[in-house]
Amino acid sequence: MKKTVGILAALAAATLVVSGCAASTDAEPAAETAAETTTETTTTTSAESVLAAVQEAGAVRCGTRDALPGFAVLQEDGTHVGFDSDFCRVIAAAVLGDADAADMVDLETSDRFTALQSGSIDVLVRNTTWTASRDGGEASTFVQTNFYDGQGMMVESGSGYDSISDMNGAVVCVAKGTTTEGNAALESSRLDLGWEVRPFDDTDLLQEAFLAGQCDGWSSDVSQLTGFRSAYPDGADSLEILPEVFSKEPLGPAVLDGDTQWAQVVNWAILATIQAEEFGITSANVDSFLASEDVTIQRFLGVEITTDEGSAVLDPGLGLPTDFAYQVVKQVGNYGEIFERHLTPLGLERGVNALWTDGGLMYAPPYR
Amino acid sequence: MSPLTGVPTRAPLWRDVRVLKWVFQLVVLAIFVSIIFWLYNNYQVNIQKSKIPTGLEFLDNPANFTMPGNDFNQSSPVWSAFIQGFYNTLRVSIVGILLSIFFGTLIGMARLSKNFLVRTVAGAYVEVIRNLPLLVLLTFMNLAVVLQTFPRIENAWKPLDLFVVSNRGIAIPWFEGSGTTLLTVLAAALVIAGLVAWLRGKYSDRTGKPARGLLYATAVFVLVVLGSWFTLGYQWTLPFVEDRGTLGGLRLDPSFFALLVTLVIYTSSHIAEIVRGSILAVPRGQGEAADALALSGPTKMRLVILPQAFRVALPAIGNQSLNLLKNSSLGAAISYFELTQIAQITVGNGSPAVPAFTLTLLVYLSISLTTSLVINIFNRRLALVER
Repeated sequence: MKKTVGILAALAAATLVVSGCAASTDAEPAAETAAETTTETTTTTSAESVLAAVQEAGAVRCGTRDALPGFAVLQEDGTHVGFDSDFCRVIAAAVLGDADAADMVDLETSDRFTALQSGSIDVLVRNTTWTASRDGGEASTFVQTNFYDGQGMMVESGSGYDSISDMNGAVVCVAKGTTTEGNAALESSRLDLGWEVRPFDDTDLLQEAFLAGQCDGWSSDVSQLTGFRSAYPDGADSLEILPEVFSKEPLGPAVLDGDTQWAQVVNWAILATIQAEEFGITSANVDSFLASEDVTIQRFLGVEITTDEGSAVLDPGLGLPTDFAYQVVKQVGNYGEIFERHLTPLGLERGVNALWTDGGLMYAPPYR
Repeated sequence: MSPLTGVPTRAPLWRDVRVLKWVFQLVVLAIFVSIIFWLYNNYQVNIQKSKIPTGLEFLDNPANFTMPGNDFNQSSPVWSAFIQGFYNTLRVSIVGILLSIFFGTLIGMARLSKNFLVRTVAGAYVEVIRNLPLLVLLTFMNLAVVLQTFPRIENAWKPLDLFVVSNRGIAIPWFEGSGTTLLTVLAAALVIAGLVAWLRGKYSDRTGKPARGLLYATAVFVLVVLGSWFTLGYQWTLPFVEDRGTLGGLRLDPSFFALLVTLVIYTSSHIAEIVRGSILAVPRGQGEAADALALSGPTKMRLVILPQAFRVALPAIGNQSLNLLKNSSLGAAISYFELTQIAQITVGNGSPAVPAFTLTLLVYLSISLTTSLVINIFNRRLALVER
């Protein structure tokens, strides 16, 4: 009995001590330790922009992937090659003037947003579809879309399926935790096809299952399917991609909410590649453009503009070096070059990803 | 005038062992609670800064994905996905636990067999399986057995035309009708069988004749099930291949099959060792006494050895059952729709990670604690009363 009372008393005392800590303000010296540690953790990550942290660290931590042909493939020497990897380099070239200052962080599909939220990466460039719930619920801000994609379906060549409406009661395999999963379910119920949608943790497992005949269809963004098809063990011809595209998948880089400056920096780094293509500036001829008389090009490349009143370089105040566009194009290339380097070999057409002047969607706001 | 005045009757507070003990406990408790509070506070501050919703509102959002083999669809709320996941976890765990105990007991007895071959094979099985990591075993089962060894649906194995086995699942003959009716019938049969066994026990106590409770109960159980089967007009359906799937019968998802088989293989190797140890723990004299009464081998095992071994084995088997339940979370690695997989998918589809996984954690915790409570109650009833 006595012991119970003792324990109760101890508990009560402990609760008092702790609740004192919890409720106290800075004025109370008793809770100093608790209050101090809390403020410390708060200040380390807030207030200053990611931009300052990146400049200080001398590297951009870029969330990417390791095995998506055309977009990001980890090489044996530890470097990444692909469309997305090049956009990581674009950001590094713009911010730090060095395309090699991009630290690639390989992420699984299901942990990519957690990595962004926890601050273990600065920017996510990993075929991520821009949706309203991700803007709102995942604490992310999407910037300029660098690839307009749509979801399609890949089947074995001899399967006898000519369109997705033939695929009654089929088993459709997708990557786990993606918009693909929901789209496939939606399409199945819209066309009343009764698909069994099987999610897989990573694409290697999905490919194993597909090879073994566990799946009738492999659904993903058309660009990804094209990539997987080109690297399929049985050869690209043993697979075909059905003509339908049943969703909008704008893929673009995402940054953490609440840091407008960093979002703008990443945005303009991407836009510079589009603008450069529109001007016809490539990595090969960029130096010859430095002598251009065209004021818009002078502004864009950060060349000194001489007028009667003197000379000046345009600094729009984005927080980027004035020559960032030059560095991006010189070190990585313009949008068309990046596309041709990685996606054209897979057999992807420019399509909606052409410049607006060619009837596509790639359009950069004026740089002035 | 007492010579003892001035001599302190108690030690000072800072040297009083009782006080020091309490102070020490309080300090430890305070440190512990402060650490928890500090971590929680950090979480709150950081989560607010990144403007991530923290509540459980996400449970009402549409789930945006589907699961094979049930009514759950993409506009069902997230909470119903969790319930389905909970149900699937229980399904694989309960079936797995029953099968593991059955096979574990058999293998454990085989380990003690007088037959050299039986003993050696059982011993090799236990030694190999017990020393493998479960995830490796599961991945192997999924990639090598289900995907590669099982045929494609076009060439499905159809043993006796009763089963359809392919890498898209295993279809078995099943009955037509709703699951609830079947469960009601089974439960009713079980209750009636239990009642019969109890009455037989009473009868045996009164007359001294053998009870044969198990025999009678089984017979009654079968009779009741068959009787209601015909009166309710149930019918078997046999599975058959249709297009690129199966219709009819009951289809076991390939991932369910891989997970169940792996869990049973793994857990029964552990239970076998427990059973073997428990049989050896039964005093020698018990077996000798049974021999002296001229009981046959199986009867001696059933009536004398196993009941006493079971008493020793129960807590350890209970532990293994809990392990199996927790290990079922590995099903997420091969896309079985159990609780962990659901949590991963909903997080991928926009549910906040920390609340979703906290919820998952609490569900596992409550299943485990309930199970261990039941085991403890059983154990208390079965344990030897020592004075």
